[in-house]
Formats: sequence, structure tokens, C-alpha cells
Amino acid sequence: MSRLEFRQFICRACGLIYDEAQGDEDSGLAPGTRFEDIPEDWACPLCGVTKADFEPHDPLPSPTLLGARSARPLGRGAQAASQSPGAGRPLSPRLKRPAGVVVVGGGTAAWSLVEKLRALDPHRPMTLVTACSGDRYDKPRLSVACKQGVQAAQLVKERGIHAAQRLQVRLMAHTHAFSADAHSRMLRTTRGTFQYEELVLAHGSAPRSCPGLPDELAWRINDLRAYSGLRTVLAVDSAARRTVLIVGAGLVGCELANDLALAGHPVTVLDVADRPLAMAQPEQSQALLSAWAGLPIAFVGHAQVQQARRLGNGRTALELRDGRTLEGDVLVSAVGLSTPSQLARSLGLDWADGIAVDPQTLLTGVAHVHALGDCISLNGRAQRFIEPIHRQARLLAARLCGEAVETYESAPPVVRVKTSSMPLTLA
Amino acid sequence: MGAPMDLPPAMTARATSGFLDGDDLLAAVRTIAQGPLAEVAPDCDQKGVYPESVLRQLGAVGAMGVHHGDRSALGQTAAADFGLAIRAAAEVSRVCGATGFMLWCHQVCGVYMEQSGNPHLGGKALSRHMQGLTLGATGMSNPMKTFAGIEQFLLRARRDGDAWVVNGTLPWVSNLGTDHYFGAVASVEVAAGEPAHEVMFIVHCNAPGVELRNCPSFSAMEGTNTWAVRLTNYRVDNHNLIAHPVRPFIGRIRGAFVLLQTAMGLGVAQGAIDSMWKVEQPLGHVNQFLEDRPDELQGELDALTERIMRLARTPYESSNSHLIEVLDVRAHASELALRAAQSALLHAGARGYLMSSDVQRRVRESHFVAIVTPALKHLRKEIARLSQPVMPAVDVLEPA
Repeated sequence: MSRLEFRQFICRACGLIYDEAQGDEDSGLAPGTRFEDIPEDWACPLCGVTKADFEPHDPLPSPTLLGARSARPLGRGAQAASQSPGAGRPLSPRLKRPAGVVVVGGGTAAWSLVEKLRALDPHRPMTLVTACSGDRYDKPRLSVACKQGVQAAQLVKERGIHAAQRLQVRLMAHTHAFSADAHSRMLRTTRGTFQYEELVLAHGSAPRSCPGLPDELAWRINDLRAYSGLRTVLAVDSAARRTVLIVGAGLVGCELANDLALAGHPVTVLDVADRPLAMAQPEQSQALLSAWAGLPIAFVGHAQVQQARRLGNGRTALELRDGRTLEGDVLVSAVGLSTPSQLARSLGLDWADGIAVDPQTLLTGVAHVHALGDCISLNGRAQRFIEPIHRQARLLAARLCGEAVETYESAPPVVRVKTSSMPLTLA
Repeated sequence: MGAPMDLPPAMTARATSGFLDGDDLLAAVRTIAQGPLAEVAPDCDQKGVYPESVLRQLGAVGAMGVHHGDRSALGQTAAADFGLAIRAAAEVSRVCGATGFMLWCHQVCGVYMEQSGNPHLGGKALSRHMQGLTLGATGMSNPMKTFAGIEQFLLRARRDGDAWVVNGTLPWVSNLGTDHYFGAVASVEVAAGEPAHEVMFIVHCNAPGVELRNCPSFSAMEGTNTWAVRLTNYRVDNHNLIAHPVRPFIGRIRGAFVLLQTAMGLGVAQGAIDSMWKVEQPLGHVNQFLEDRPDELQGELDALTERIMRLARTPYESSNSHLIEVLDVRAHASELALRAAQSALLHAGARGYLMSSDVQRRVRESHFVAIVTPALKHLRKEIARLSQPVMPAVDVLEPA
């Protein structure tokens, strides 16, 4: 035996392991033959690729049956679901295993429904399928948190895995649901296919794409991951001052502009309209502009984006249709939200800028399929506010439990614009 | 074994001649599948018999050419019909998964040749390919997995003037023969700081520097003429170049590549359902206690086929949402083939467990459908990647 330990090498093509201790007697390599002593024309005895296609192999310690859970961090069980992204690796779904009430989404609408349903029925099996970690936070805070110096982790009110334990719901985190069949009641996801008893779509909406603003260049602040990324490029924990271009001067655009300017970053906000908050009364826009006079915020109206491009120094140039070009360190797109239609289409749901549900009953028209929150529309209008979500969740939870359901009242919500320099209320 | 499953004997005996289209083509493919292919399927599975004459017959009726934009080689003026190509290949896989797989290898090689825009690969070469006069294949498992971040390139190319010289070994490439050819990709060696890129090309098995080496035995589909291919200073130039750079080309053909593959899953699932009905009369009284009964599976299969036919109308659409749907139907076809083959075995009982039974063969074929690139797990990983919103990089700015 050599003084040095024998090593193992794995074939990148077929996974065969060459163990120096054992050699490969069929091809004339005696036990103990070092990998570097193998002739270059030697071929993998299983698949025929050459020596160059092997790489060093460090085998994982094989778990004992009893120790499997601790030895394998990806194991089953709620405890194994981890603390880091990539993680929250949940129970493995079993094909066609009845999953009870399956909720798609991991935001306020999804958790609110789960909470209200659990309050009514302590035993109902529930599964929550979400593309994110399922961590609970208040989305409206994303556009006001930079000034307060809040890190992404501090925005989390409760980790998804803890909420899942508390509410006894099976959490499928980092799992994308991409199609469903209403006839066989199957939901297809990136971690397997579920059979649902009742399906609740609560997946919300996603930032709208703006032609000319590629996703690789423009930040779209609609979730914790993006917020965290934006904080990193703004280097908010240092004294750095980044110039920020914000395309879109609606609610989120104005709130972000206000927040980033208060945090010390010079901001230019652009909009196709001639004033910020074009959906508000002109005097409200004027009041906001006056309040911004003392902040490093410039508003550019009548701005139609031609294209954005990355400059050699890492900065971004934004070309407008009228020939003007603006330059900034960081580009943010805040041109509104749209609802992904993939799941709804596969289920044959009515669609009108969102999943069209009955304004009084919230019924989708497809048996065993329900929807609430940002992904629905009432009378053709999407609903993108927090207040109605809890009432919708209460109604759906009651229906799922077979209880009497009151009529839903879709009062237009009162919207507060959290521009701290000039807080506004839109009726 | 050789008995046709749904055709009157007169029809299976009907001689076919000339290139066909539409339902006539499907009927002719069914005739070949349920006749000569059914005869050879068990030996193709276990004994390594390569069903070359069946493949040539499929070419002779037009099953290898209808998905091409220019069908004049078949004497046809119709537009490309991916739906028909998929249905034809499904009829083949319904009887023999191995041959269905080889038909896909050939069909997708035709896509590489056509979409390359290289006159040396189009024109006469493509015309002969579309008729099955020459046979092609695909060595794209490794590059497809590499592009998906699962493997690393096994072939390496060095620039040599206007040409490239390629070295390396692909572990298993199917539907090969000394006069066959296949599409492959090599990473191009670049100087430090130069962006990584690749070159895609046709490998002619009888060209200098190409060596076919034996593969180990597989659990099924032994007659697919699968070899390890070692390239030693193999020359790539204008005569066999498919694409350089490769990534935009793959982006364009990826949907078509995966969509054509769904035929295997559809066919294997249909074959399994066929065999369930065969035992329904004697065993229905006890099979009623099983889940995944043939009528349920048929309903799911028909709905899936309909979805695939809809996607097949725009095979080269490259939007994310289209691609996710294509990956979804491919995954669904795998899952359905697995469930149907498994259920068929339970329906057939001991008679399906005989080594001579097509029912147990189909279980092993369904495993292949689910593991061949892109495997079920790769499909899900790729859907997850495509579903994840893209964000700007965080490290592009110089430190503040």
C-alpha cells in the first residue's frame, strides 16, 4: 500500500468510478495503479470515453438507514427543509397522491387562505405550492424599506417552513406549478404531479415587461429576491451614492423614487404621462412634485423608452424615442403588473386581465378550482390591493368547508401612496 | 406477437408504394408497424437486431420527411406537418419503442440539416435523408445536458484555418452504421478572456478519424445500433458544418427537438393501453379493481395528444411560454408512458411477465422514454429555470 491514500475518479459521461485501490484488471490495470499512471488511450470500461473525461471523485459518506435523515440534508420531512435558498426542500410529492386542498402561491393571498381554512377545519390536508421559499412578508414594504435600512431577511415576518409547521400544511417551496387539468384534477409541478381535491390559485401577478427594457438590465422590485438584489447594487450599507433611473411613475415607481432619494441616491423618474401618479388628481401630482423639490428626484414626462443598454463601465444608458439618452448606475422598471395566464389557460378558466371570477360569489366557473388575490379580476379589472384579500380568503375558506357563503362586496379600495415626503390617499 | 392490433388482415398485407400524406400515411405506417415491425420487435429488444428494412420502409412511405418545409423530395407541395410526423412516429412506438426512438433520431437529424442553411446538408443530401435512402442520428444528449448545466462538453474543437479539428468520445449514440451520420457539438478551445462558444456539425461514421466502439448492454432496445463514438482529429468544414455559433441555433430548434420526441411517450402509452384491452374480456372481472384503467388512461392520452397537436402547429416558436408547454407535454408523455406500461403489466398478470410478452418489454421501453435526454428530471429542472424571473447581475458596477 502506498503512503498516500488511494483516490477515486468518476467518468463524467456514465458515472463509472475508477478506484485506484482496485484498478481495472479487465483493461490490464493492476490494483494500486495511480490514475496518473494510466495510459492516455485507456477508455472507460463502461462507456468508452477517454481518461480525460474522468474527474476526481469524493464519495459522500453513505448514510446508515437510521442516520439517513441527518446524513442527507436533502431528506424528507419538515425538519430537513432548510434555511437557505435552494432549499426549503420539502416533502417529496408522490404521483397522484391526494394532496387535499392545493394552494398555488406563497404570498399574502395564499397564506391568508390557509390560515382561515385551518381555523375552520383543523384536519383538512393542505398543500402549498410556491415558486419562492414561502417566507411571509408584507409586499408593500418593498418600496419603502431602503430608507429604513431594512435588509431583506428583516422583512420576513415568519419563515415559510415555520408557518407550514404551525398551520400543518405541506409546503412545496421553490416549486413551479405550470399546468393543470380540471377533468382529472391534476396539478403538474416541477416536483411532480399532484392530485387535488380543491385547487386554489393565489399566485398573484408579475411585473410587466416593458419593450426595450430587458430583464437582465432592469430591476423589477416585486419580491424579496429582487429587493435583496437591488440593495446589493445600491450598496445601501455603504456610503455609496448610485444614480437610479426609474421607468414608470405609478404607485410603485413613485414610492421607490421617494424611498431611494431619501436614502441618498439621486433618482430620475420617467413616465409616458406628463406627471407622476397620472391616475390621481392633477393637484395631487403637483403636491407630490412640490414635496420632491427638496429631494434629489427629477421627473421626466412624455418619456417613451426606445431601448436600454449596458455601458462598458457597468452603467446603463436609456434611450428615449425622442432621441434623448439618460444614464444611470441602476435601472428600475416599474411599469405595472400583469397576471401569468399559463395555469388559468390550461384549466380553461375565463380570462379578463386576470382570472375572471364572479364579482358576488368569486366562483371561477370551473368545478373545484378557486382563485383569489392579485391574480383575479372582477368585472374585467384586476385587483391588486391587500385589503380585499382577507375578505376573499374568508369567503373561500367558508366555501371550501361547505359553510354558508356571504355575498362578496367589491368596494373600490382606498389606496395610500407611501411617499413619505407627501403621503397621499387615492380614493 | 406479429398479429396486427387494429387492422383487418387484408390491410396489413396491402402493398404500399410511393410517398403518402395525411391519413394515408398513417395507415401505411400502421401497416408496417403492425406487420414487419411487430415481427422483429422482440429481437430488436433483446437480440440486438437492427430493424433497418423497417426503417427504410418507413422512409419509403414518407414518414421521415413530412415535417420538412420543402417536401418536394416526397413529391408533395404541402407545408411542414410536425403533427403528422409525431402521429406517424407514435404508431411506430406503439409497436416497438426502440424503432420509434430511431425514427425520432432520424427525424431530428433532418431538422439539423434543414435548419443549418448549409447547402451541402440541404438539397440532395436532405432529399435522400427525407426518403430514408440514407440514415441519420443525433449525438446531442451531452450538449443538451451541458447547455442545461448538467454535464460538460465531451467533444473539443480546435480552429484550423477555416475549419475545425475535433477530438473526444461520445459515450452512446444510437441508430448508427458505417454509412450513417449524426449531428454533434464540440466546445471550441478559446484563448483566455475569449467568450466560450461551440460548433455543431455532422459526423459521417465512415469518415477518417471516426471510430465506433462497443457499448455495454442495455436493459432494453438492444437493436438500436448504439455505439460509443471516438473522434480523433475529425475535420469539420463547410461540407458538414451545421452551426457556428451553436447557442442561437439550439434556441431555434429546441422546441422542435423535444416536440418530435413526444411521439415515443404517446406510442408506448398507447401500446400499453392496447394490451390492457386485449385482456379485458378474460380478466376484466378482476382488473376492475386496479387503478389506471384503460379508459381513464385513454382519456388522458387523447387530451395530451390534442395538446401536442396544437403545439406542433408552431414547432419553431421560441417564446419561453411555448417552450415551457413543450417541455410540459414531453414530461407528461413520459409520466403517462410509465404509468400505462406499469398498469398494463398489472392488468396482464403472469402472462405479461413472460419474457416473450410485449407487456414487460414496454415497461422497459417506458423507462427509456423517461430517462432519455431530456429525462423527466431534466425537463422539470429546465421548466424551473425558465419559470424563474431573470434579474440583472449584481456585480457589474465598479465598487463604489
